[in-house]
Amino acid sequence: MDFNLSDEQRMLVDGAQRYIRERYSLDAKRAAAKTEEGFSREHWEKFAELGWLAMGIPEDCGGMGGSPVDIALLMEQLGAGLVAEPVLDTAILAGTLLAQASGSQRAIDLLGDIAAGEKIVVLAHMERAGRSEYDTPVSARAKRSGEGWQLSGIKHRVWHGASADCLLITVRLGETNEIGVLAVDRNAPGVDLTVYEMLDGTHAADIRFDAVELDSSALILRGPAVDDALAVAFDHTVLAMTSSAIGSMDAVMAMTGEYLKTRVQYGQPLAKFQALQHRMSEMFVETDQARSIVYRALAALESGDAQERATAVSSAKSLVARACRFVTGHGIQLHGAIGTTEEYAVGHHYRAMLMYDYRFGDATYHLERSAGLLPRIA
Amino acid sequence: MNLKYGKEDEAFREEVRAFLRDKLPHDVARRTKTGMHPPNEDDRRWWNRVLFEKGWSAPLWPKEYGGPGWTHLQAHIFEYECRMAGAPELRWQGLRLIGPVLYTFGTPEQKARYLPAILKGDEMWAQGFSEPGAGSDLASLKTSAVLDGDHYVINGQKLWTTEGHYSEQGFFLVRTDNTGKSQRGISMIVFPMDTPGVTVRQIPMINGEGSTCEVFLDNVRVPRENLIGAVNAGWDQAKFLLSNERTSSAEIYKAFSDLARIRHIAEHELKNGRPIIQDPVFARKLAELEIDVNALEWSVLRVLCEAPSNYPIAANASVLKVRGSELQQRLTELAVEALGQRSLRMYRRDEAYAPPAVNPLWPDYTPGVATDLLYLRACTIFGGAKEVQKNIIAKLAFGL
Ligand SMILES: Cc1cc2nc3c(=O)[nH]c(=O)nc-3n(C[C@H](O)[C@H](O)[C@H](O)COP(=O)(O)OP(=O)(O)OC[C@H]3O[C@@H](n4cnc5c(N)ncnc54)[C@H](O)[C@@H]3O)c2cc1C
Repeated sequence: MDFNLSDEQRMLVDGAQRYIRERYSLDAKRAAAKTEEGFSREHWEKFAELGWLAMGIPEDCGGMGGSPVDIALLMEQLGAGLVAEPVLDTAILAGTLLAQASGSQRAIDLLGDIAAGEKIVVLAHMERAGRSEYDTPVSARAKRSGEGWQLSGIKHRVWHGASADCLLITVRLGETNEIGVLAVDRNAPGVDLTVYEMLDGTHAADIRFDAVELDSSALILRGPAVDDALAVAFDHTVLAMTSSAIGSMDAVMAMTGEYLKTRVQYGQPLAKFQALQHRMSEMFVETDQARSIVYRALAALESGDAQERATAVSSAKSLVARACRFVTGHGIQLHGAIGTTEEYAVGHHYRAMLMYDYRFGDATYHLERSAGLLPRIA
Repeated sequence: MNLKYGKEDEAFREEVRAFLRDKLPHDVARRTKTGMHPPNEDDRRWWNRVLFEKGWSAPLWPKEYGGPGWTHLQAHIFEYECRMAGAPELRWQGLRLIGPVLYTFGTPEQKARYLPAILKGDEMWAQGFSEPGAGSDLASLKTSAVLDGDHYVINGQKLWTTEGHYSEQGFFLVRTDNTGKSQRGISMIVFPMDTPGVTVRQIPMINGEGSTCEVFLDNVRVPRENLIGAVNAGWDQAKFLLSNERTSSAEIYKAFSDLARIRHIAEHELKNGRPIIQDPVFARKLAELEIDVNALEWSVLRVLCEAPSNYPIAANASVLKVRGSELQQRLTELAVEALGQRSLRMYRRDEAYAPPAVNPLWPDYTPGVATDLLYLRACTIFGGAKEVQKNIIAKLAFGL
């Protein structure tokens, strides 16, 4: 085993750190969060130039074919910087899903567009009755219409839905009821969006599809392959998101440690109080264990075994969700009142933690999944 | 020992319930239950007035100053019923903090000037204690008040002044002596928030609202008679004021209404096709919290009824603050957990207060659940941070 970074990985990490330090201040992020999209297109273009959006996309589709470890390293830095652009939703989630639809020319084209930063593509999967992406029952329908399909239904909480050029929609197909994934132009007639803001400033949408007419190429995946493809895509996304949570925890520890050295109360820096020293140590223990469980999951991902992958990814999510709650929560507590302001980064990390905890299954869900207690639903 | 409410207490509870059924409109209760911070100010002022007209706006004030003459237990029943019905929580700065200081230490003129307006809800108060350099270590405060003829001239900055932007009056701790021990040179003074030289700026908080403010005091001239009690006795008054806070820091009424909210959400949200309340993992978490809330309520009752204790009563009061604030955070966390991913939506107050549109994707119990959780990150910090409370317990209970 060797935990050292390769030269390329070192460059990736250094580059991301530099970008965030020099161009991604909290002020800039807050300004972007107030815009109509909740993020900045300027950064998005830069991310494409830097190759970040191509990282998880296969080389023969115009991507860089990076490994899960490469993606984890990048996401850790983006988490530390509270990056708001849809890297996770487009480059990781949609990218991984599309990469499994290799028989579809449409999917291949979309992958190239994502890698080049030319299109934002997001998954529209959640519905009213589902608690998480993993277990939402799909009831949106596409029935045969000539050579193509006619789509109707409602999708709930589509992250970056209004910014997307293309939506990947899970549906029930025709009479057979088998599950399928359709690629739909967001501006197609019959697509109607209601947009709202999420806790971290991201914009999401509920989307109604009213008899949307699609040609046959829209269907990029169908049948039992869809369940497997979704599970793979979700697991990769969870692990990427988990890596960004690690970055968040590291950032919170660093800023809290610094703050304790400068804030004076009772005639001395807060850092002198042993109660607070121990709290910092506990945060360190949690973060250290969180990093380790991510490594374990990365190893499992490379094993190629689906069961091992699912168990390890879920273990990571349940442990890191707990650890991240502890670290970001105490990050606020140790800052005192200043930590509860909008202006201060620690509260933004806390909100990012909530997003992490409740997207793609909460800690309880993943604990049960890692224990093999869940029936498979899709 | 007699560990039961008396017959007259139960009759009193019925009377309060009937009053609430009669006087508290559904839309006010609905807005209150969203848990936005700060709560709807118009609702609060209006409700304060309604309670005043009934003689109920200051449950614990002595009768001669306009209190209803209730026992502590009756006041407890009253607060509980109000909160469960969704009545707006009245502004505590005037009613619970400065009011008792005024009727205990104030001059007859001060009592006549300020108390009626607090009771009626005509004037709201802001608490100006904390400063940029004086948080947990309040005694290090620097805002100065220097006598110039018949006026104090006040200079300095206050921070985290809750709801300072729509308060008519403020009570402040200021430094009137720089020479001796830092606690001994502090005085308490009151003045209107629109006095020339006072600038109030809202601070956007983690929940997306500006509930606290910074207050800049630049050569603010305040008549000498606005000083409360003796010069340099402000620290004792502040301690008196905080000791009146004893049981309210437990937030026990909010805890009970939070439990009801969690239960309501969990009865309606589905997991694998069944209400999440039927999920054993969730049900256990809820039961555990219910047990903790019940224990806390009995701790409150013990303090209210001055139950004997082997430890100084102030140590028990700090227990209420430590456990109460921890519980508030755990309760809002479980509410978010019950609601799941839908809780991640950020509701602004106009959205949260708007009459519920019928949209099955966003049930009426959704707005404010996450806002409450975010805001309450502060509850283990304000009113004496948790770590400092623990220091107090160690000292008072064990002499450490
Ligand atoms: C939402 C909100 C509303 C508020 N409203 C008001 C108001 O209306 N009026 C008002 O005057 N003030 C108000 N405050 C201020 C509040 O009283 C202070 O925030 C509080 O006293 C803590 O001070 P601080 O924030 O400066 O934290 P600090 O004192 O800087 O403390 C930071 C951290 O260090 C810890 N710490 C400090 N000293 C010790 C020690 N000796 N041992 C161990 N740990 C220690 C604290 O527990 C905390 O975790 C409000 C604060 C908030 C967040």
